[in-house]
Amino acid sequence: MSQVQARFFTENTKYLIDDVPFSIPAASEVVDLSGVINKLLEAKNDGHKHVEFDFLVRGQFLRTSLANHMETENISTEEVVEIEYVEKFTAPQPEECIMHDDWISSVEADSEWILTGSFDKTARIWSMEGKAVMTVAGHTDVVKDVAWVKRDGLSSLLLTASLDQTIMLWEWNSERNKVKARHCCRGHAGSVDTVAVDPTRTKFCSGSWDKMLKIWSTPLMTFSGHNEAVSSVLWMDAEELCSASWDHTIRLWDAETGGQKNTITGSKVFSCISYSPLCRRLASGSTDRHVRLWDPRSKDGYLVLLSLTSHNGWVTAVRWSPSHEHQLVSGSLDNVVKLWDTRSCKAPLYDLAAHEDKVMCVDWTENGLILSGGADNKLYTYRYSACVSDAGA
Amino acid sequence: VGLHSLSMSKFTLILTSLNLQVLDKCKIFSSVSLLVFITFSVRSQDIRNTVGNIPMEWYKDYPHIGYDLDGKKLFKPIRNKDELDEFLDKMENPDYWRTVQDKMTGADIRLSDEQVDLVHRLQQGKFGDVNFNEYEPAIDFFSNEVMIHPVTNRPQDKRSFIPSLIEKEKVGKLVHAIKMGWIKPRRPKETTPQYYDLWAKEDPNSILGRHKMHVPAPKMKLPGHEESYNPPPEYLMSEEERLAWEQQDPEDRKLSFLPQKFACLRAVPAYSRFIHERFERCLDLYLCPRQRKMRVNVNPEDLIPKLPKPKDLQPFPTTQSLVYRGHSSLVRSISVSPSGQWLVSGSDDCTVRFWEVSTARCLKTVEVGGAVKGVAWNPNPSICLVAVSYDDTVVLLNPGLGDRLVCTASDQLISSYEEPEEVKDQLVQWAVAEGEGHEQGHRLILKHPKAVRQVTWHGKGDYLACVMPDNGSSLQVVIHQVSKRRTQNPFRKNKGLVQCVSFHPIRPYFFVATQRYVRVYNLIKQELTKKLMANCKWISSMAIHPGGDNVICGSYDCRLAWFDLDLSTKPYKVLRHHKKALRSVAYHRHYPLFASGSDDGSVIVCHGMVYNDLLQNPLIVPVKVLKGHTITHDLGVLDVTFHPTQPWVFSSGSDGTVRLFT
Repeated sequence: MSQVQARFFTENTKYLIDDVPFSIPAASEVVDLSGVINKLLEAKNDGHKHVEFDFLVRGQFLRTSLANHMETENISTEEVVEIEYVEKFTAPQPEECIMHDDWISSVEADSEWILTGSFDKTARIWSMEGKAVMTVAGHTDVVKDVAWVKRDGLSSLLLTASLDQTIMLWEWNSERNKVKARHCCRGHAGSVDTVAVDPTRTKFCSGSWDKMLKIWSTPLMTFSGHNEAVSSVLWMDAEELCSASWDHTIRLWDAETGGQKNTITGSKVFSCISYSPLCRRLASGSTDRHVRLWDPRSKDGYLVLLSLTSHNGWVTAVRWSPSHEHQLVSGSLDNVVKLWDTRSCKAPLYDLAAHEDKVMCVDWTENGLILSGGADNKLYTYRYSACVSDAGA
Repeated sequence: VGLHSLSMSKFTLILTSLNLQVLDKCKIFSSVSLLVFITFSVRSQDIRNTVGNIPMEWYKDYPHIGYDLDGKKLFKPIRNKDELDEFLDKMENPDYWRTVQDKMTGADIRLSDEQVDLVHRLQQGKFGDVNFNEYEPAIDFFSNEVMIHPVTNRPQDKRSFIPSLIEKEKVGKLVHAIKMGWIKPRRPKETTPQYYDLWAKEDPNSILGRHKMHVPAPKMKLPGHEESYNPPPEYLMSEEERLAWEQQDPEDRKLSFLPQKFACLRAVPAYSRFIHERFERCLDLYLCPRQRKMRVNVNPEDLIPKLPKPKDLQPFPTTQSLVYRGHSSLVRSISVSPSGQWLVSGSDDCTVRFWEVSTARCLKTVEVGGAVKGVAWNPNPSICLVAVSYDDTVVLLNPGLGDRLVCTASDQLISSYEEPEEVKDQLVQWAVAEGEGHEQGHRLILKHPKAVRQVTWHGKGDYLACVMPDNGSSLQVVIHQVSKRRTQNPFRKNKGLVQCVSFHPIRPYFFVATQRYVRVYNLIKQELTKKLMANCKWISSMAIHPGGDNVICGSYDCRLAWFDLDLSTKPYKVLRHHKKALRSVAYHRHYPLFASGSDDGSVIVCHGMVYNDLLQNPLIVPVKVLKGHTITHDLGVLDVTFHPTQPWVFSSGSDGTVRLFT
């Protein structure tokens, strides 16, 4: 087998080529195929500039030689292979390194500001350029989680959850640069490890070490059902809540009635979860080396859709791309942040090995910024231009 | 007869023209009669005798010898030769040897060369004809070879093509008979000869077994030279040998008698030990084993119980996940909070550190006045207290971690203490920490008379037992009641050096491990209920199974002994997996796991399943060796403890780190 019949196609109209099968060497790799496509494009229009492409064979990224890939994926070499090509994702470009005084426990960024929670009992607001704007101090213990609630012009609402069992709602005026504590939510009997604001921006949910979930609205709702500490909580939509716990389960709750809708049972402690509305998948990090993808709608709550294995330590943070349905980022105790594409589950797209200590949190903003904070007191930001043209692919 | 009547010329013609068959018949003629014919052929004259083939002596007395063709007498030739003439003729005539007399005519005939030759040939048994070859090859008319053409060209009969109706009828009858079962196929002949097995039904063990099992009676040793009345001098004992013989016990003696020498057989006295020896012989015969013992051949491998694979016994800790760094000296003791959120470690650098388990973050460091020997988190989840022992002091710390309400409640529990009216002399000084110590979390300080090595809480969290090892002293173990600030010495005297103590998780029992033994006391009845023999030199640590019926003991001689209290006071199983002394052992509270830490720097996790069924023994399978600690000062792992809810094990080492294996 030295030659393979292949037909190339793309959904990007900019790089269309003729829909004819080519005979290409089976040993060719991504670079060779990319060269072929570029030759074809040059032949078609003169003003073509060289573009690196990536190739998908039946929805899986090509990472080895074509023959190898087809052998492992059990694709017949007799037929014409359909190969999709997309513009190669460029590596995330490191932008800023923001120094903190202590370990960074959590990070959340919106289009303008970065909010970080730290082990020095404060939360901080940073501009996108890495300039310290505000220090939100008020907690008596480590800040475990932070969240933006909403922004009305210049004033913003933000939440901080802490080990001192409280959640504080702050109002921050960016013009006057004043922060004011609006509420101090007491009620949990353990450290509040996670907080999540619902899509309507009117209420929020918190999960705590005391095994409880609370929805802070009027009236206050308490969900009990987990047998161990709640490690992560998120809203799937306005009515549905999802929580991960140390009791090896991910539970889906009805936010209105408080009833349990579904339970996903794993074999390890779940430390973080993330949900992508684009692909409707849950990604979970647990106290082992794997990032696992789950279908929250599946009734068979033991089924792992996909296991992404490349980390060497516990996966402490995982976050789906807000704009791309296949991409997610994960941080681990092995000091590395990895950028994954679910179409290439064997190896990550990129390893971001900037941290010198444990990575504790990652975030991904809608305008293509990846943030990661860790136990080396540094918050790294990366500019990642997931090809806009490919965003809907 | 006809031949005689033929003329001589005709006869020669016939002789030459006749072929083989004629000559064959001629063989029967005598050579002499042939000569007669020849004479005829030689004398080709008309003087022919016509008397025929008659004996010629009939004419012996006549002057004639016959008659010619005209009927006239033929007269005998005049024979005037006498014997002398005959002799002279024989001497002088060279042709005498070939001259024969014709009896028919009486004339002498000289034979020609051809005639002589013919006579010779016939005498030799050859054919008369010189030219006849008797060895000519014979040509067969029908050859043995198969020819391509048939000998006959006759076409085949028509009947050979038509099935025979008679045969068809016969075959039909046979087929019908076979169908009806009248004719049965012939049985194949059995070629093997059939013999009757006389011994087929006999039990081989009955007779053969008896032969096999037969043990012959022991034979007596035949007499040798020693027994002789006149033994050779080398068999006689010297004086020294005799003395040595007398010194020996009768059982040890090589010879049962002294060889003696007598001048003659008459001088031999009666044998004094005769009866005795006969009796011993009878005893030998009587006591000799007369049956062979059957040895059971069992493969030792089969006796080993089949252990399940470690893979099937998950979950258990397999990899190192977190390292808690911060201590600058060896960490002697660790303890996990009942919720599993916090970890406390006490080190030789005189600090106690509190860690968050999930992030390995040191949240609090408390300095104490000495190298910390033991830490113990109160197992009651509604009390937040940590007992720390250093030097001769035990400090109760409130770390202020976890639920605020619980922390304040435990503070209140301590501060709400009211002094009893009558103050008794206490073994231990109770003091409330104030000032800077209180800020750090110190709540109560208990000054002991001796150095405290270990602290351990009762499951309810009110009683605290402390060990002060001191050989032979009566004050080695004290039990404190925190709520009443009371101290009691449960034992009037202690045997041996107490190593560690432990409360039974459910029942009011108290375990005290000394160097060799573990004693189990009933605290209500105040009596010793059991004493476990550890079979090791020096017990270092002990852990009680949460079910309360099983105990493991680690020892400094590399052994881990598992006791089943219902089974025996001896170890149910002894594991020798570690290379060096064990420092610490621990049970998991929920999972069937136990771990042991050793000076070789490794933690060995074993699966230890205890069944509710009393008949089923615990299943113990070593599942994982966890390595991570570096060995410093010949010390490796100093303490191990399990997470209360997850299958995780913590180990503290001499390298100043605490490690979490998951």
